[in-house]
Amino acid sequence: MSNLVHKEASLLEVKNLETAFSIDGAYYNAVDKVSFSIKPGQIVGVVGESGCGKSVLSLSIMQLLPKGNGEIRSGEITFEGVQLNQLSDTEMNRIRGRDISMIFQEPMTSLNPVFTIGYQLQEVLFNHMKISKGDARQKSIALLKSVGISRPEKLVDEYPHQLSGGMRQRVMIAMAIACQPKLLIADEPTTALDVTVQAQILELLKTIQEVNDMSIILITHDLGVIAEMCDEVLVMYAGRIIERSDAESLFYKPMHPYTELLLGAIPKMDEEAGMLSSIEGMVPSLKNMPETGCRFALRCPKVKPECSAVTPLLEEVEEGHSVSCILYETSMPRKGVKP
Amino acid sequence: MQVTTVKESQLKLKPVKSTSPWALARRKFLRNKLAMASLLFLIIVAILSFLAPYLTTQDIARINIGEMSLAPSGEHWLGTDKSGRDVFTRLLYGGRISLIVGISCTLLVILMGTVIGAMAGYFGGIIDSMLMRFTDFVLTFPFTVFVIVLNAVFFGKLNGLLVLILVISFLSWGSVARIVRSKILAEKENEYIMAAISIGCSPFKVIVKHLLPNVLSTIIVQGTILFATMIVVESGLSYLGFGVPAEIPSWGNMLSSANEPDVLQSKPWIWIPPALAITFTILAINFVGEGLKDALNPRSRR
Ligand SMILES: Nc1ncnc2c1ncn2[C@@H]1O[C@H](COP(=O)(O)OP(=O)(O)O)[C@@H](O)[C@H]1O
Ligand SMILES: [Mg+2]
Repeated sequence: MSNLVHKEASLLEVKNLETAFSIDGAYYNAVDKVSFSIKPGQIVGVVGESGCGKSVLSLSIMQLLPKGNGEIRSGEITFEGVQLNQLSDTEMNRIRGRDISMIFQEPMTSLNPVFTIGYQLQEVLFNHMKISKGDARQKSIALLKSVGISRPEKLVDEYPHQLSGGMRQRVMIAMAIACQPKLLIADEPTTALDVTVQAQILELLKTIQEVNDMSIILITHDLGVIAEMCDEVLVMYAGRIIERSDAESLFYKPMHPYTELLLGAIPKMDEEAGMLSSIEGMVPSLKNMPETGCRFALRCPKVKPECSAVTPLLEEVEEGHSVSCILYETSMPRKGVKP
Repeated sequence: MQVTTVKESQLKLKPVKSTSPWALARRKFLRNKLAMASLLFLIIVAILSFLAPYLTTQDIARINIGEMSLAPSGEHWLGTDKSGRDVFTRLLYGGRISLIVGISCTLLVILMGTVIGAMAGYFGGIIDSMLMRFTDFVLTFPFTVFVIVLNAVFFGKLNGLLVLILVISFLSWGSVARIVRSKILAEKENEYIMAAISIGCSPFKVIVKHLLPNVLSTIIVQGTILFATMIVVESGLSYLGFGVPAEIPSWGNMLSSANEPDVLQSKPWIWIPPALAITFTILAINFVGEGLKDALNPRSRR
């Protein structure tokens, strides 16, 4: 990232974040030295296969890591000048749901089955505002309307099991935007939904983003979603950001071999044609991460002998387009990102 | 649009039923005949016991030498015991004590077990291991020995009934704590718990509002089992002479007169009524418990 971007006020700034899980007494980084920032009103996409650390990254920002197991080992998460990873749980509770909200992947299980939709919406309001019961009810109806629910007066008194997945995700979005947060983290918000519903939900997110002028971190493993929605894209692999760029140049000129594979730009070598975009092999588990070198080396079609020895840095190769791959280090003037 | 209007007009014809999980469970329970009959039986037992002073005029404590061990008659419906006290009167008063001990112990045990189990399960880590160490410690106490010793220590110094309730409860919450902890551990993995934290709910709110309602069905079912167990424990201890003080009638105390071969063999009216009362009460509680378990089980709904 260039110094220029640094000078603009960013809403959220993540610096050298390392989040680790303890497994059998040792810590393994699920998020490894990740740095990025989001400006107000920006939609940043995070893309990568399953198991790349996208959810762990978002849970780290929200300070929602499983206690006793997951831990931010180093780095800074700064939101509007406040370092979130230094806050107490009580202080963080004032921010969660008010300034930063989150939408989860599974709309079928993200709502509490024993409470009505209205109750759960009002809970957010009561957590963060002084508001009467009657006003809260009116406001929750208005919120449901704003996420495109057609009979909100009826729905407030219904229970989650009476709604479809798409409707529940709309309710989740209504809960997330209830206090007009400045940042919304959407962790694969459409993965569990039908294709047609997916498009509607994304449309809704985009509209809300424009109306409320909030920033969104949109996590997905679907590059199509990124293309439609995002200003900027982070490509993650095995806990690291391996490429970052604006959405357009990522699609026209993917640099990292992993991104190329994700885009389906390179046909697979074996004969099972048709499945161009699926990549051979799997993301290594935390315990099996290569200690040195590029973590993608094992699966990379363009691998070189030095790939497993040298750990590449995320370097800006073109204006606004950074990549972490030795293929680009030699041919380009070095503009390394200082850790 | 067309479809929804049709549905709405149909809804207006039928009485609109609430679809809350609790309403569904209640409807299911009300349809369970055995459970409802058992509940009715328990309510009658409770009413008879608690209205005992108004239903009988007999003195429960006074020893009546002239009327010892009388067989059932018009004056003494269930006869009299060895001290000449009316068995029917003592049965009603005894029910009152047995139910009071059972209910108080159950509530105390549920309260302690739930608080400790929920904290251990939710917070995990060092809080969990300390609380569970304590739970194991309490669970390994030799129950009967401890009750007997404590009763001996406090005998005459404190209200015997209160001591008994506190001692039984303190020694019995361990298993509830373990069950609640394991339910909380499973329940807190649900995404809606994460979602609740992500909208700014404090740990207290998350436990009380989001976790406990979802483990409440387990707690309720556990409560009925405990209630039955506590009545048995009270009766057993009283039968052995270590429970409710001897001057207070309880079903267990009444049973202890069957210790004597003469009573056991030739004066059945003295011990059969409390024996039947205990048996039927426990059966009824168990049927209610089964009914609740069935009604609260989401898989068997509708
Ligand atoms: N609670 C946890 N304990 C141990 N490992 C975890 C935990 N949560 C996630 N991980 C590991 O962290 C890595 C990243 O996971 P995640 O962020 O969920 O991936 P995704 O990109 O699919 O969201 C995976 O290897 C996963 O196994
Ligand atoms: Mg994920």
